[in-house]
Amino acid sequence: MNLLLQVNGAPVQVDVEPGVMLLEVLRDRLGLLGARGACGVGLCGTCTVLLDGEPISSCILLAPLAQSHTITTIEGVPDDDPVVRAFDRHHAFQCGYCIPGMVLTARSLLAECARARRSPSREQIAESLGGNLCRCGCYVKIIDAVQEVGS
Amino acid sequence: MTDPRIRASMRYPNDLTVPGMWHARLVRSPYAAARVVGIDTSLVPQDVVVLTPSEVEPLGGYGCQISDQHVLAGVARHVGDPVVAVAAADEATAREAAGLVEVGYEELSAVFDERDALRAGAPLVHDTHAVSDGDAAYFGLRPLEGTNVCHRFRIRTAGLPQGEPYTADPEPDDHADGFEAAQVIVDETFRMPAAQHVAMEPHACVAGWRDGRLEVTTGTQTPFNLRQDLARLFGLPDTDVRVVCPPMGGSFGAKTFVRTEAIAAAVARRLDRPVRLALDREEEFVTLTRHAATVRVRLGATRDGRFVAKRVWCWVNTGAYADCGPGVAMKMGYAGVGPYRFDHVAVDSFCVYTNLPPAGAFRGYGAAQSVWASERVTDLMAAELGIDPVELRRRNLLVDGDRFCTGETMHDVHFQELLDDAARAVDWRPGGDNRGKGVAVMLKGMQTPSRAEVDLRRVGDGRFEVLSGTAEMGQGAAQAIARLAADLLGVDADQVEVPPPDTDRVPYDTRTTSSRSTHMMGRALEAAVEDLKNGGGDYGHGRVVNEGGLDVDTGQGIASSHWHQGAAAAAVEVDDETGLLTLRSVHAASYAGRVVDRAAAELQQEGSMTMAIGTTLFEELTFDQGHVVGPNLSDYNIPSALDCAAVSQTLLEVEGAEVHGLGETALPPVPPAIGNALATLGYRPTELPLTPERVLGCAEDAS
Amino acid sequence: MTWMAPRTVAEAVRLKAEWPEATLVAGGTFVGILTRQGLLASDDWISLQDVRELRELSTGSELALGAMVTHRRIELDPGVAAGWPGVRQVFAAVASPRVRNAATIGGVLGDADYASDPPAMLIALDAWVEALSVRGLRRVPVADLIVGHYRTSLEEDELITRVLVPRGRHHVTFRKLRTRSREDRPCVAVAASLHEGRVSVVVGAVAERPQRFPDLCATWDPADGASAGEIAAGYADRIDPIGDNRGSAAYRTGMIAVEVRRALDTLAPAALTAQAAGR
Repeated sequence: MNLLLQVNGAPVQVDVEPGVMLLEVLRDRLGLLGARGACGVGLCGTCTVLLDGEPISSCILLAPLAQSHTITTIEGVPDDDPVVRAFDRHHAFQCGYCIPGMVLTARSLLAECARARRSPSREQIAESLGGNLCRCGCYVKIIDAVQEVGS
Repeated sequence: MTDPRIRASMRYPNDLTVPGMWHARLVRSPYAAARVVGIDTSLVPQDVVVLTPSEVEPLGGYGCQISDQHVLAGVARHVGDPVVAVAAADEATAREAAGLVEVGYEELSAVFDERDALRAGAPLVHDTHAVSDGDAAYFGLRPLEGTNVCHRFRIRTAGLPQGEPYTADPEPDDHADGFEAAQVIVDETFRMPAAQHVAMEPHACVAGWRDGRLEVTTGTQTPFNLRQDLARLFGLPDTDVRVVCPPMGGSFGAKTFVRTEAIAAAVARRLDRPVRLALDREEEFVTLTRHAATVRVRLGATRDGRFVAKRVWCWVNTGAYADCGPGVAMKMGYAGVGPYRFDHVAVDSFCVYTNLPPAGAFRGYGAAQSVWASERVTDLMAAELGIDPVELRRRNLLVDGDRFCTGETMHDVHFQELLDDAARAVDWRPGGDNRGKGVAVMLKGMQTPSRAEVDLRRVGDGRFEVLSGTAEMGQGAAQAIARLAADLLGVDADQVEVPPPDTDRVPYDTRTTSSRSTHMMGRALEAAVEDLKNGGGDYGHGRVVNEGGLDVDTGQGIASSHWHQGAAAAAVEVDDETGLLTLRSVHAASYAGRVVDRAAAELQQEGSMTMAIGTTLFEELTFDQGHVVGPNLSDYNIPSALDCAAVSQTLLEVEGAEVHGLGETALPPVPPAIGNALATLGYRPTELPLTPERVLGCAEDAS
Repeated sequence: MTWMAPRTVAEAVRLKAEWPEATLVAGGTFVGILTRQGLLASDDWISLQDVRELRELSTGSELALGAMVTHRRIELDPGVAAGWPGVRQVFAAVASPRVRNAATIGGVLGDADYASDPPAMLIALDAWVEALSVRGLRRVPVADLIVGHYRTSLEEDELITRVLVPRGRHHVTFRKLRTRSREDRPCVAVAASLHEGRVSVVVGAVAERPQRFPDLCATWDPADGASAGEIAAGYADRIDPIGDNRGSAAYRTGMIAVEVRRALDTLAPAALTAQAAGR
């Protein structure tokens, strides 16, 4: 079937089998390698992309369900984005595999906090990022970085 | 420009695609022990290629320390052992085809427990044990033919007899082990289960042949070992194999020695085209694990708290293939002695085959398992003697000039300061009420002997290139090396490039394990910069060797040219009804010598502690007839952001000291610190992880 | 392969009847997992993504949640928080915000996963579902919906359209005992709700279906210190729990006794106040 997707602000057309996941469309068809597959069950968060600004697991999202939504991948986040800069300043990464998912999820949290005019606490940040696993164990610095942007 | 890892501007081995490449998938044994008696590929589509054990048998065997593996298994020795490889032009076809291969098996007897494997009647996982002659078999190996022991490591301090070759159920002999002067003896057995590395990026490689040379791009911490093993398998000189290692999405020991590469290379040779072999998460669970180990520690002391003798037995469950299990067994053996003075020490560490998935390198490299046991026993002794646990350690900790149980003289020793720092972090009251608090202190060895070489080139425009075999897996090796080189050259770090290892270009390095790289490469760089300055300024080569090694029968010699030293403390609460353990705080203090990159060093500590929290509280691989129960991240939990709120750390530096590696130091002392804290609340933990159910089960007043 | 995206509920049930082999896709989470794991290979799909009615949420004399309303929306809706604190609490407790963005209320009930949190609370709150097919609309109490391991009492051609929760259950508690990571699925979950002097206690995550024993609940005397423990022991005695990576059956039995008692103890003050006020 033919899909019309909005990816990082641009319309994209792909022809796929209906049972294909959004992750494979992004990686194999569109060359966007920032979303990754690490667990296959939507738990680890490395496949996170934003759908209308909200994080979802692209590895278990049937691609047709992503139509009529805006999709944002890490490639759609500019280098001078405050969250990206904060991660860099705090060195909030080691191997980097989980980081795009962390950055996107953090941006979504911070946008929500900005709308509500509040700063997230460390516990709230940890809860928001609880579904993004980092085996390298960068959680402390990641929370530091997000807290700094949110304050 | 921000770091490329943040916005995914770099490529991992799992991302690699090559024009014309095919995709391989594996058919794996559903039995823990079985002979392959037939392979039926009649349902497999014509355009799918199938590779079977008999086709790769002529290549022979391999193994970094014991040569016990084949590229595909004609005799499967664990559930998940790869038996057949299929390859197709696209992954979906290969995946489907793998499901259509029918393999007939004749089931054999299997054994799963590391002590049962040594008891009468246990089936032999391997009929013979051939020691490998590769670089990774760098120490004397003692396999016991006709048993499931692929290596036995021994320490006997002067005058102590050797004893029996092996045992699953030792009868302590206080005379033979030097316990006569001991007035109080504590003897307890502990267990740490198998665990999974769960690097976020699964294993993946691309292998291809070009003009008779094998080229492999893969995630590996051991490019030169891999090159050597592949060269020997395919009958090539080392220089006809090229290993390229892009930065990995984590490894923690999982991506070491031969994993997917030999199969991919064999398929690529058959197809005469490049082949990609990438594993699913489920497959990761049967590829490599952390050694489950049973460790028994017998400690003898005088009533006033002086350690007299220590007797340690380790049964190290290396699974179906030895991999680097012998080395792990050795390191587990001496780490289990601990950083203390003794009159007599006897250690037997058995690396034991079972029909579980193979175990191998895992952050901590054997130290975690024995330090758990050893430091719990230290506290049991303190309780027995009525001496404060911190004070008891103080009385016995090694200081500069003391000899370790291997006979080597300790230098640059800081155990006391590290212990004091950890104790302070939990507000330890000397001789007072420290309920809910626990400490631990440990030493862990660094690969000895080993060699590091590095090339340094001026590449114009004020820029330099460092050619180093150190692999990047998130620890910031490339960054640290760039910084070290820049400091020595007197330039900015961004004027130094450190490309990922390519064995065609970089000089030999033993491997990126054992937290040796910053230290060894740092020293090699000093030599290289010196060489460059002396030679005209365009090129320099540095070579550094750390000498040492242990006598395989007595454990005497030099275990480590340079010791990783660490302490930890924890404060905990327990819900006595549910057994739920809450960590109020966890602190690790590690000796850093000289910190090269502070943020990276802190991250290594935090990462080790986070992994240790998982090890202590919930990580455990359980098996059912050799099958991993729940090989997925829902059933196997790793720590999330919500699980490690209360960690803190100290990096101990000393003016003018050498750089010390920090990749693992903060892991081994954390579990016993937590276990010791729990023990003050009316529990006697011996088995990890300390799940709520296990906590209730070890309550001292449990009915 | 056919992807169908009906626009109305009527069209959706008609398609479901015409394509009995087609896989119904709500939020997609469960179906996505099964497909990715190779456990489900569907040729035809009926997606509810365009059925607007199924995304409606209204608060009145009852809370009406369209089947496609996400966990996240339920968690954040001020009307739900004000009138149905138990609903808010249990949906907020599920996994992580990212999972909650995709998971739907219809999906979680239709999947009948034994470890899911919402079913236990919805049963404690006396919620019911509306199930539609070409043969008409059925109202099924959530208590009668989940009948076994990943099995519901729905007919093959029935579709959950709405979940309705009656008003007036403000004294609620939801306990989720996680034995491993804080992101883990529960070992034992207990939902309890007070209404008109009666308590309803439902234990989830321990057996194929949520466990409720109204006869035991009826014996509760919040003024009697031992009553909660007796009821909890009764629950523990009657339930035959599973064992898994989160805990053995024996451990679960012990924890059912602890967690049910603690849930009742949490509600006791409110129950006593209500009694004193003569309600």
